Amino acid sequence: MKPICHMISLLAVCSLFLHGSPSAAARIVTDEMGRQLTVPDDPQRIVSFAPSITEIIFALGREDRLKGVSRFSDFPPEARQLPSVGSYISLDLEKIVALKPDLCFATRDGNPKDIVRRLAAFNIPVYAVNPKGLDAVMETIHRIGEVLNAAPKADAIIDQMRTRISRVKRWVAKAHRRPRVFFQIDISPIVSVGTPTLINELIEIAGGINLAKGPTPYPRFSREQVLSLSPDVIIITSMARGGRFEQVKSEWNRWPSVPAVRNHRIVMVDSNLFDRPSPRLAEALEILARLINPDLFEGKE
Amino acid sequence: MSKSPVSGGPESAPATLERPVLLKRLFTVSMLLILFMTATVFFGISIGSTGSGVAETLRTLFDGKGTDDAMHYTIIWRVRFPRVLLAILVGATLSLGGLVFQALLRNPLAEPYILGVSSGSGIGAIIGILAGFSRFPGVSATAFAGSMGTLFLLFVMSSGQTMLKKDTLLLSGVMVNSFCAALIMFLLSITQDSRLHNIMFWLMGDLSTADLYQVGILAIALVPCFVLLLTLSNTMNLLLMGRELAESMGLNIKAATITLLVVTSFMVSFTVSYCGPVGFVGLVMPHVLRLAFGPDHRVLVPACIFGGGTYMVLCDLLARTLPDQGEMPAGVITAIIGVPLFIILLKRSGR
Repeated sequence: MKPICHMISLLAVCSLFLHGSPSAAARIVTDEMGRQLTVPDDPQRIVSFAPSITEIIFALGREDRLKGVSRFSDFPPEARQLPSVGSYISLDLEKIVALKPDLCFATRDGNPKDIVRRLAAFNIPVYAVNPKGLDAVMETIHRIGEVLNAAPKADAIIDQMRTRISRVKRWVAKAHRRPRVFFQIDISPIVSVGTPTLINELIEIAGGINLAKGPTPYPRFSREQVLSLSPDVIIITSMARGGRFEQVKSEWNRWPSVPAVRNHRIVMVDSNLFDRPSPRLAEALEILARLINPDLFEGKE
Repeated sequence: MSKSPVSGGPESAPATLERPVLLKRLFTVSMLLILFMTATVFFGISIGSTGSGVAETLRTLFDGKGTDDAMHYTIIWRVRFPRVLLAILVGATLSLGGLVFQALLRNPLAEPYILGVSSGSGIGAIIGILAGFSRFPGVSATAFAGSMGTLFLLFVMSSGQTMLKKDTLLLSGVMVNSFCAALIMFLLSITQDSRLHNIMFWLMGDLSTADLYQVGILAIALVPCFVLLLTLSNTMNLLLMGRELAESMGLNIKAATITLLVVTSFMVSFTVSYCGPVGFVGLVMPHVLRLAFGPDHRVLVPACIFGGGTYMVLCDLLARTLPDQGEMPAGVITAIIGVPLFIILLKRSGR
């Protein structure tokens, strides 16, 4: 096996020469998985493997260097104009290689390990991020900013996020009680979010009690279980819009004994805002806080 | 590999073909199919998601690598070529698997997927993946254990009755398959993991993951099995003549059966651990080749290797190019072609 390994790395080195890699200067960085990799000093051809990473790169103002994105990268709308390299679960190796990237960004949560391994054989560095909480998302933004030489911009984004988060915290501190929130991320089966998720953190900061709290990240629920939890608010994120939401809402509306139904507190939110670890999470938090404690926000912008 | 004369089996065996005729036949068939395979391989490496051009590929292959062609060269040899090679190995293995099971069980509808052997390896492989084993040797070993387990189950279920009874065997296979499907669903429903998506894709037969190194390992494991089956091809002829006759020819039926079963399961489970349970290839190819070249297994074994490889490369090519965006698992294509054929065969054999 060893000789084959050597042969492959030799091939990789050869192909590097063939490509005539433009950026001679490089540095070694450690990504969020603890992997050491050599990245160009000033990466010029970047490919993003997840919509959240695409959003971060756009926010950092480095979209001119973004040469390819994963299929569902739809924010900001300009991202749709960029070449697609497949969905983030099944990435198209051929397309990625053809874009001649000098740096790719992957997320541990979703991108297959295989693709990272194979890109390594092509001498294409893959920087993996693994944001597991609100602070970690800001850390990720900071790290990507550093790699792309946009640290000041990254810090500005993070400052702004922190300001918005602490403003929400100040508002919520005035609340008298914490409403019971059931956050539904899938319709059939009913799936919610447990403690080790970003959305749980958002619910807590926004002043609610997450009814699905527990060690399981994405627990399943029967309708019966949800009814017995008697949520004050039911928040539904869904890939499916419009008609689908009305249908789900009307299913819940058959149980008027539930406080959320009685008080017309079944709402839908944009799933892209909530399930992408991107700078827009601050906005998601504000929306959530308003939904959970509407009376606190009357007359506020 | 195919050009070496096929020996094996006692010399006294009444072959359907005389030796010189057989050799000539073998040579013609192999050459023809190798030609086909070469052509398909060429198309396989010419067509891909970043555009395709036969002329451009030819230029890149023969003109060496100009500065602008370097990328094309890399894509052809290091992205598409491993995939085409994997398809050949998988197609050859599954076709051979079908051929062996059909001879061994004397049932035209036998095939690794239909009998549940592929699903059994699938369960083993999923357990291996969830346990975090590496693909080789960990996942391959659990896949092998899974396929041996289902084979055992299959024999327990249909023992006491003659294996010749088509319905018993097929029904046992269907039951084993349903049981495996249920187990797989169970395993998937207790997994709360991002690995789930990968497994779902893998379950439908996916050829996109392997690189040249992994294909190399697969080839090292499979090619000796191919050679072994080549030497056993006359044994398969004898087995088909019936138990008494075969025994009178001096064939140790038990030893032959066990060898064939173990080798085939090993091959199938190895490919399953790489690209999921791709179905119905082992049904389509042996029947097509039997129609074209007659029932002699000494010709059919090499024909299955080259023909099966060609077929799988074509199926994978369709899987890569049919969808507008991205690609679909190759198993979808093989099932769409294979299931109607299965129904036709079932109707015909029922008469």
